[in-house]
Amino acid sequence: MSRDELLLSADGESLTVLHELAQVLELGVLTVDRSLTITSCNRWLAAAMPQARSSIVGQPLLTVFPELRGSAAEQAFHGALAGATTVWAHRFHRYLLPLPPRPTVSEGRFDRMQQSAHVMPLGRGGAIEGVVVIIQDVTERVTREEQLREALAQAEVASQAKSDFLAAMSHELRTPLGAIIGYMDLLESDMVGPVAPLQKQYLGRVKSAARHLIHIIEEILTFSRVEAGKEPIALEAVDGVALVQSVVELFEPQAATKRVGLHATLPSAPVMLFTDPTKLRQILINVIGNAMKFTDAGSVRVAMSCDAERVSFGITDTGPGISHDDVGRIFDPFTQLDQSLTRPKGGTGLGLPVSRKLAHLLGGDLLVHSVVGVGTTFTLWLPIVGDPTGALPTAPTGAQAIA
Amino acid sequence: MTVSRVDHDALTELFNIGLHKAAAALSELTGQRILVDLPRLWVCPIAETHARLRDLMEGELATVHQVFMGSMTGDAVLVLEYENASRLAALLTHGDVASDGRLDQSAREVLAEVGNVILSSCLSAFGDMLHVAVSFSVPRIHVESLEGLLRSLKVEKDEMHYTLLAATRFRLTEGEVGGYLLIAVGIASLELISKALAEHEP
Repeated sequence: MSRDELLLSADGESLTVLHELAQVLELGVLTVDRSLTITSCNRWLAAAMPQARSSIVGQPLLTVFPELRGSAAEQAFHGALAGATTVWAHRFHRYLLPLPPRPTVSEGRFDRMQQSAHVMPLGRGGAIEGVVVIIQDVTERVTREEQLREALAQAEVASQAKSDFLAAMSHELRTPLGAIIGYMDLLESDMVGPVAPLQKQYLGRVKSAARHLIHIIEEILTFSRVEAGKEPIALEAVDGVALVQSVVELFEPQAATKRVGLHATLPSAPVMLFTDPTKLRQILINVIGNAMKFTDAGSVRVAMSCDAERVSFGITDTGPGISHDDVGRIFDPFTQLDQSLTRPKGGTGLGLPVSRKLAHLLGGDLLVHSVVGVGTTFTLWLPIVGDPTGALPTAPTGAQAIA
Repeated sequence: MTVSRVDHDALTELFNIGLHKAAAALSELTGQRILVDLPRLWVCPIAETHARLRDLMEGELATVHQVFMGSMTGDAVLVLEYENASRLAALLTHGDVASDGRLDQSAREVLAEVGNVILSSCLSAFGDMLHVAVSFSVPRIHVESLEGLLRSLKVEKDEMHYTLLAATRFRLTEGEVGGYLLIAVGIASLELISKALAEHEP
C-alpha cells in the first residue's frame, strides 16, 4: 500500500487507465470536482444511465441525480472531499446512484440497479480535488440470493407440510392397528370360541407383524414430532445406572438367541440425572438395538461414565462397521447404508436420526466412530444439570460389570 | 521509546471515544441499537503481538485492513475469528447474510463497511487528538491465518514496531460478538501518540 493509493491521483492519464480497467471489470466510475460537478463517467456507467454521456459531464451531480439531495449518498461525497473513504455495502444501502436496472438481469424484481460502491477522495499532490465513485452492479447476485431465500422458505413450508402429513397418516394407521391387535387378543383368548393350535400360531404371527408395524409407525411419529418441534420433554430425577441396566436386560434374551455377548460396564453407585427418562430409554433402546441387529458374532458392550459436567454412554459392537463415506450419512433420515447389508435387517432408517434428535432435545449429542471390519461405537452424552426437585447427582465411585 | 511510557488510561479513553462514534454510526446504518465496548487494551512490541494474539484467538480469521497515512502512519485492522465474523454479519443484517456461517460476497461487503466505520472512527479520534489529518486507504477484507495477518502488517516498506491491541465487544439486541482492533504503528507514530496523550492529561 502506498501513499498514492490512499488518494487516487487525478491526473488525466491515471483516470483514463482507471476508466478502461473498470470497463473491463464491468464497474462504473464517476468523478466529480469539489463543487460536485461531474467531471468524468466511464462508458459502462454511461451505458447504464438514461442520459447521454455528453449531457452528464459538466453537469452538477445533484442536477443529474436530484434524488441524492440530502441523502446519505450526498454525505458520502462530502465525506470524501474531507478525506474519508466510504464503503457502500448493498445490504445497508441498496444503491448509491439511482440508476435503472439493466434489462437482462433484474427480471423486473427491482426498479433500481442494486449496487455496492466505494466513494473515495480524488486528488493531486496531497490535495483533495474531487471524489471518485466506483460502482458494482450487484442486481444479478442479489436476485439470485433472494430467489435462494424464497426457495428455502418454500422448502421449509413443504417440510412442515410433510411432517404434518406424516404425523396425521401415522395416527390414522396406528388407530386401526390397535383394533387389529385387540381383536387378535380376543380371538387368541378363546373368549369368542375355540381356536385350533395352528390358528393360534397364525394369530401370533399376525399380532407380531402388527406390533412391528406399530413400532415403525411410532418411530415415524416421533421423528415427525421432533422435526416439527412438537415433541414434549418431561424432565425428572432418574438414576442413569438403573435405567441403562434395565435397557440392557431387555436385550439379554436376544443376545442369548444370537449367541452374541452383551456386556455392560456401569458405575457402582447411582448417577442421578435430571432428564427425560422415556427419551433416554428410547435412545438407548434404538442404539443398543441397532448394535444387536448388525452384530452376528462377537459382542455388544455398553459402558457408562460421568464427570462433573456430563454423562456418557458408549455402545460398541463388533459388527461390520461403517465406511468413512457412509458415517456422514448415518444420521440422515430415511437413509440405510449398504442396502445389500441392511435390507435383510429391516427398519425405517429413522432409529438413529430420531435418537440424535432426541439427544439434542435433551441438551446432548449422539456421535459415531466406526472402523470397517472392526465395529462401531456410538457415544451418547448428556449434560448433568441441576435438579430443581433437589435430588443431587451422585458421583460414581467405581465401575461394576454386568453381563 | 518504551511501551510503559504510553498512558494506558488516556489511550483507553481515546479508543472509547472512537468506538462510541463507531457505535452511533453503526446504529444509524443498521437501524438497530448497537454498543461497542472496549473491555481490554494492550500496547506491545510487534514481536510479542503473535504470542498475545495466539492466546486470544484461534483458527481462521476474517480481517478488515485499512492503511492510514499522514503525520501518523500504520495499518489498522479489525480482527474477528471467522465464525464471529459471520455471526456479526448475520446479527447486523437480521440474518440476511451469513446466516449459514459462510462469508459470501454480501457478508464480506457488510464487514468491509462495518470495518471501515469502526476503523475510521477510531483513527479519526487519534487524528483529532493529534490535530492532524489522517488519510485512509480503501478497506481490504481478508480471510487469513494469524501468521498471515502479522506478515501483512507493513506500510510501503516501513516495518511496524508496536501494536495497540484493543479487545472489543459488539452488543446488539439479538446477541454479542467479540473482536479485536489492532493498530500497528512504527516507533515515530507511537512516540507522537504517547506525547499527545501526555499533553492531554489534566
